[in-house]
Parts: sequence; structure tokens; C-alpha cells
Amino acid sequence: MSNQHPPTVGEHTRAAINEDWAATIVGLVLLALVITGVIPTGLVP
Amino acid sequence: MTSDEAAVPATTRATPGAAARAAAWQWPTLGVLVVLVLAAGTRALEKGVPEWFAGSDLAKAIEYPVYAIALGLLGNAVLTATGLRDRLAGGFRTEFFIKTGLVLLGASINLKVIATAAGPAIVQGIVLISAVFLFTWWLGGRLGLDDRLRALLSAAVSICGVSAAIAAAGAVQARREQLAYSASLVIAFALPSIFVLPALASALGLSPEVAGAWIGGNIDTTAAVTAAGTLSGEHALAVATIVKVTQNALIGVVVVALTAWFAFRVERRPDAERPGAGELWRRFPKFVLGFVAASVVTTWYLTTVGAAEGKAVVGVANDLRTWFLILAFVSIGLEFRVASLREAGWRPVVVFAAATVANVVLALGLATVLFSGFTVT
Repeated sequence: MSNQHPPTVGEHTRAAINEDWAATIVGLVLLALVITGVIPTGLVP
Repeated sequence: MTSDEAAVPATTRATPGAAARAAAWQWPTLGVLVVLVLAAGTRALEKGVPEWFAGSDLAKAIEYPVYAIALGLLGNAVLTATGLRDRLAGGFRTEFFIKTGLVLLGASINLKVIATAAGPAIVQGIVLISAVFLFTWWLGGRLGLDDRLRALLSAAVSICGVSAAIAAAGAVQARREQLAYSASLVIAFALPSIFVLPALASALGLSPEVAGAWIGGNIDTTAAVTAAGTLSGEHALAVATIVKVTQNALIGVVVVALTAWFAFRVERRPDAERPGAGELWRRFPKFVLGFVAASVVTTWYLTTVGAAEGKAVVGVANDLRTWFLILAFVSIGLEFRVASLREAGWRPVVVFAAATVANVVLALGLATVLFSGFTVT
């Protein structure tokens, strides 16, 4: 690699860790909405 | 502040700042919009092509990952030619999309089913992941690859492709270009496997169950496993899914092991303090918790409702998961850089190819031994 001190995945984007949690929260919230019927069958194309 | 800015009245100076702030979110938002449009195109092709080419086995065989990546690559070429790609790149959130998809994947995994029906799959997963991971790690070392790239390639080829590479990248703090490179290799090898493995399984006369176990233990990405399993029939798809789901479930174990190995061994210096347990937690990919939580919640939920209702609800979760995987695959196509492949050189390609061959042979042996007497009823 040309850059001797390239940023790591964790350092490069401050959002990386937030993205991890965001994916967890979004995924679980979507699942909760599906289980509670807020997102009914047939709504997702 | 520049001298030019200082000469401008404060009320006027606010405008360029506001414009810059607006541009800071407008371009990524437009990027997300591009991903969504291409994902909608993928969905339309997935449903439309088999209808437009009714009677064509090939049209029916092509699954959404192929369309998603093709459209992503096409969009990549167009945006690069127009000079817009780098501006929009903030919206190509591959990691977020695929992690969300993996959390939703947990909803389709019943822990009880895995525990009772997937004994051979667990044995195959543990043996295969361990052997292929260690072989890839060893070969990467022999060819002088960077430890982080070795970890990414080993995780990608032994567990489940891009998602494992992402999880491993978080654990070992790999560079973004190493992750992009590993993801590129995974896609480059997984796409032909969708068609080659079912054809080879047929040529070798494997039973559907053994073929499924072979496919599930072999192809790196879960979506590609599903595609190849579908090509080999319902029973093959069932076994392929169980085997792949087992490997998916082992991501967390491998990630924890990698985190510990890199924190305590690879990065440890004589003058450095020994990393504490907090470091393990900091590097642990949190979406794995969401993945397990989704599985636990759905497993519990399915005990409280009828089979038909439960199946319908899991079906909706699966549809959402498919959308997020499509978004991720489109983003991978949009992010793909030939330069990163060239920059990394030939050695990682050799390591990945050799590991894939080792994976193919070992998985065939294990599938034959473990699944010869197995029938899907």
C-alpha cells in the first residue's frame, strides 16, 4: 500500500462504531415492527 | 478564516457555511438515493426477467445478487465517467446495509432447529472453518501478506464472505482498502461459484443433501449460497441453508478469537500495556448481538403463534433482509475499485484462490462423510 500510515477501519470513520449500533437498532426495530404487525405482510415489495 | 472571508459581512458569511453544511449531507443523501434506485431496479429485474424470458432456465436461475452487483458496477462506471462517484460515495453504506441485513437474518434462524437438525452442519462448520481459516492464514504468511489482510481473507474464505470480512475488519482494525479488496475478491469468486458448483455437483452425481452441504460449506456469501442451493433443488437448498446458517452463527466465535489474538499477540509491544477486557468489547462487532437477539426473539415469538402466522411474519422479515442485502450488493458494486485489486498485487489473489480450492476439496469430503445418510423430510 502506498500510504505508510493509512487509517484503520475504526479510525477512518468515526461513524463506524455508530454504524454497528445503528445497524443493530434498525434491524431489531424493523423486526419488532414486523412482529407487532406495524409492517404487515405484502407491504414490503 | 481567510482574509477574504473576514472582509465579508457576518450575515453574508453565514451563507457559504450553510451551503457547505448543506452539501455535507446533500451528497451522501443523493448517494443513498442512487443506491435505492438501483436496488429498486434489481428487484424489478429479479421479478421481471423470468417473466420476460419465460421458459429460459438461465433467466430463472439468475438471482438478485447478480443483478444488484451488475447494476452497482454499471452505476459505478457511469458515476465515475461523470465525475460524481466520489461525491456520492458517502451514501454507499455497505457496512450498515449488510449488518442490518445480518441482524434481520437472525430472525430466520430458529436456535432449536439448528440444535436438533444441524448436528452434522455444526461439525462440518467447525472443522471446515478451522481448517480453511488456518490454511489461509498459513499460506498468507508464507507469501508475506499483512496480518490484517491475512485475517480478512481467512475469515472471508472460511466463514461467509463479505460479512465475515466486515466482522473480522472490525476485530483486527483492518484498513478500509483491505476490506474493499477482500470484498472484491469474495464477489469475484462467489459469482461464478453460483453456477459452477451446482453443475459440478450434478456431474459428480451427488445426492441433493450432499450437494447442499457442499454448496453451503463452500460458497462465501450467504446470498450466493441461497442462489446456488436453489439451482440444485429444494432439498439441496434446505441443507445448504442449514450449513450456511451454522457458519454465520460462528462469526461471533471467530471474531472474538481474532479480537483476542490481535489485541494480545499481534499488536502487543514490549513497552505497551496489556490490552484489557475493555479492548475486547470495543472491537467486538456489536451487530453480532443484534443477530443473536433477533434469533432469540423470533424463536420465542414462533412459540406464541400458529405456524402459518409465524411463517408469514418471518417471510416479511426475510423480505426486508433481502432489501438490505440488495442495498449492500449494489453498494459493493458502486464502491468496487479495480485500483485496489491492482494495488494489492497478485499474492492475495493466489492465497484466496488456493484457499478456495482447499475449501472445495475439504468441504466435498466432509459433506460426503457427514450428509450421505441425511435426508430432508
